[in-house]
Amino acid sequence: MAEFRNYTLNFGPQHPAAHGVLRLVLEMEGEVVRRADPHVGLLHRATEKLAESKPFNQSIPYMDRLDYVSMMCNEHAYVMAIERLLGLEVPIRAQYIRVMFDEITRILNHLMNVGTHALDVGAMAVMLYMFREREELMDVYEAVSGARMHAAYYRVGGVYRDLPNRMPQYQPSKYRSEADLKRLNEARQGSLLDFIEDFFDRFPKLIDEYETLLTDNRIWKQRLVGVGVVSPERALQMGMSGPMLRGSGIEWDLRKKQPYEVYDRLDFDIPVGVNGDCYDRYLVRINEMRQSTRIIKQCVQWLRENPGPVMADNHKVTPPSREQMKDDMESLIHHFKLFTEGYSVPPGEVYAAIEHPKGEFGIYLVSDGANKPYRVKIRASGFAHLSAMDEMARGHMLADVVAIIGTQDIVFGEIDR
Amino acid sequence: MEELKKLQEQLASAFGDRLVELQVAFGEVQIEVKPADLRDVMFELRDREEFRFEQMMDLCGVDYAAYGKGEWITEEASFRGFSRGVNAEDGVNFGRLGITGVYGVHNVRTNTGRRFASVVQLLSLTHNRRLRVKTYAEDDDFPVIDSITDIWNSANWFEREAFDLFGIIYEGHPDLRRILTDYGFVGHPFRKDFPLIGNVEVRYDPDRERVIYQPVTIKPRVLVPRVVRRDNRYEGLKPSGESTNG
Amino acid sequence: MQAIRNFFKTFLLWELLRGMMVTGRYLVRKKFTIEYPEEKAPQSHRFRGLHALRRYPNGEERCIACKLCEAVCPALAITIDSAPREDGTRRTTRYEIDLFKCIYCGFCEESCPVDSIVETRVHEYFMEQRGDNIFTKPQLLAMGDKYEQQIAADRAADAPYR
Repeated sequence: MAEFRNYTLNFGPQHPAAHGVLRLVLEMEGEVVRRADPHVGLLHRATEKLAESKPFNQSIPYMDRLDYVSMMCNEHAYVMAIERLLGLEVPIRAQYIRVMFDEITRILNHLMNVGTHALDVGAMAVMLYMFREREELMDVYEAVSGARMHAAYYRVGGVYRDLPNRMPQYQPSKYRSEADLKRLNEARQGSLLDFIEDFFDRFPKLIDEYETLLTDNRIWKQRLVGVGVVSPERALQMGMSGPMLRGSGIEWDLRKKQPYEVYDRLDFDIPVGVNGDCYDRYLVRINEMRQSTRIIKQCVQWLRENPGPVMADNHKVTPPSREQMKDDMESLIHHFKLFTEGYSVPPGEVYAAIEHPKGEFGIYLVSDGANKPYRVKIRASGFAHLSAMDEMARGHMLADVVAIIGTQDIVFGEIDR
Repeated sequence: MEELKKLQEQLASAFGDRLVELQVAFGEVQIEVKPADLRDVMFELRDREEFRFEQMMDLCGVDYAAYGKGEWITEEASFRGFSRGVNAEDGVNFGRLGITGVYGVHNVRTNTGRRFASVVQLLSLTHNRRLRVKTYAEDDDFPVIDSITDIWNSANWFEREAFDLFGIIYEGHPDLRRILTDYGFVGHPFRKDFPLIGNVEVRYDPDRERVIYQPVTIKPRVLVPRVVRRDNRYEGLKPSGESTNG
Repeated sequence: MQAIRNFFKTFLLWELLRGMMVTGRYLVRKKFTIEYPEEKAPQSHRFRGLHALRRYPNGEERCIACKLCEAVCPALAITIDSAPREDGTRRTTRYEIDLFKCIYCGFCEESCPVDSIVETRVHEYFMEQRGDNIFTKPQLLAMGDKYEQQIAADRAADAPYR
């Protein structure tokens, strides 16, 4: 009788389906995975230690670079933690702007996730269409912050600048006729809010398109249904959150259960899965995009009607406007103090968590009264999800590992930090 | 507020003097337990009807060695200025700037038993509330804390991380390996006596035709000193690390 | 009835055909891509690209070596040395930005009290040799001279928001 032996397969760190630098040591029995041992840390940049050596505000751009597909949500948790320690009240308009951009970020993240997941599994077209929409949303990012990805837009006490009332437009070129240019610039005639509204009027139809391509597709279903099943009990035990938890049928969303900012004033639903497999999580994500569209529309409506300040007026913490700074001595002193020393945060410890597109993203902040944090711990949802990899992949085929990595929505920026 | 009061009372009545400290601040409840009681308390927190903390969201290590210490405190610093000009002439090892302490590595007090803490964030879905549980390792030189991996499986990687970054040994952990740092890394980088720029750097050596480790060549630079302000607006709020026998 | 319908749908590859219809529609539609190097996507006036140092209209450089940008730079990418000039004003003798370290967060521009250091719209640049990543003061001033019109227009457009 022939003797069978397990063998070890090294997956990554450079593998197109590994969503970054994941090294997965798989113990295989034929084509079946017996044990999966993810090796992480290849992108470890010690963000937490770096943050300890900088004044509070200077770490905000580094938060963008944690989960680099949902940039503003990371900033949100960080500034929320500081605001809670300071006891700082954020102007209501800034809260609406934050919520709106959190939801735009959620859509950006889910588009990226579902698109690349489909690409890994073998459907190319969806990814291309989704990236087209991402492009427009990144234009929104750029219009407010000046950067397409690493925005550094949220600040302690609000957001940096108000929404612009003009969108940049396509310039004439030899490839475009007059009519063509007009068509391209049609949505860009009004303010940023007009642009967002126009986009989200079209967006539900586009989601329908993705669903036509994926939801009923037999290949997609064969690859996802029944793969990576997580029971609700196990999901809780393994510290899952976000779509991973909701896919298993647990209705838990921090936006509803522990509302922050203005989520309690907005009307939306939480999609919940039934079976806890990859397919259900895909459906949860698709439906979350629809819900986010609803939230954004409400925010746009509100923001149109209610102009106001977007930064708290406490100049011990937030910089004065440039006009003030140039006219007024006291403001200039505040400006210099803030940009050199920063501000001291009262001693204490907080844990601020938000519903990040990937799950619960928390910042545990310890301050000892200095102008730099004493300890910042970033609770990345992907870290807990990836630690469940072994359990989810066990007994599945090698090709299913790719589907599971996709469904876990892994981004190494946040796992390795 | 109601909820917090209730949780506070429930905790006090359930654990009594097993709680070293119970503290409510910024709308969050925090308890501290002795390492010996940790596992019992955790089991009860998970299973007892009034707690039911089903999820362990986060576990992390904290090194309290430099708590409340500023960099801008020496007499001579104020007239020499604090800039990248801070250099070896000050008699401080050049390679070790950029961390808390007076221009250098923070001098660690000997064995206070309050240096390394393992902080756990719990979440109860049933009651919709959070709790923070803190445990200080009793020995600073060889910090050991019981593992809670079997109570919440999610603790597995978080404990590995705390071991990797702080060197806290979790007793009973099934697979306590380094997780974030390089294979063969020496030291525990998030400790306050580990320099921000690290000790070694890696590069490819064309002569020897292999990757080599060598001492860091980066110039350390700190532009903004760490200043601890006892702001009168916040008087009365005691830093939590010093609140008990620290 | 549903079962029969499902049977035929499976048999006829119905959902695959519908998917093909979506992609087929895009085949005949106008393309949404642009001809990149000649044609560019719209750029916001808040765009944060390569840095520049500005001058006053009379040709005097704006920077007064207050070193706010150096202090606020999260990546420690800016290095400034300063000395008084012959006319007694305080100016930089060295102003360098390490473009490898820079993370383009825009804090330097935000902190500058005299609108000297700015981030322009330029985002297409390259370095040929090791060491080219250090952007020196003459280079920065040249950038500022070259793009002054654009820079001034962008700052003016954004002034009400800052």
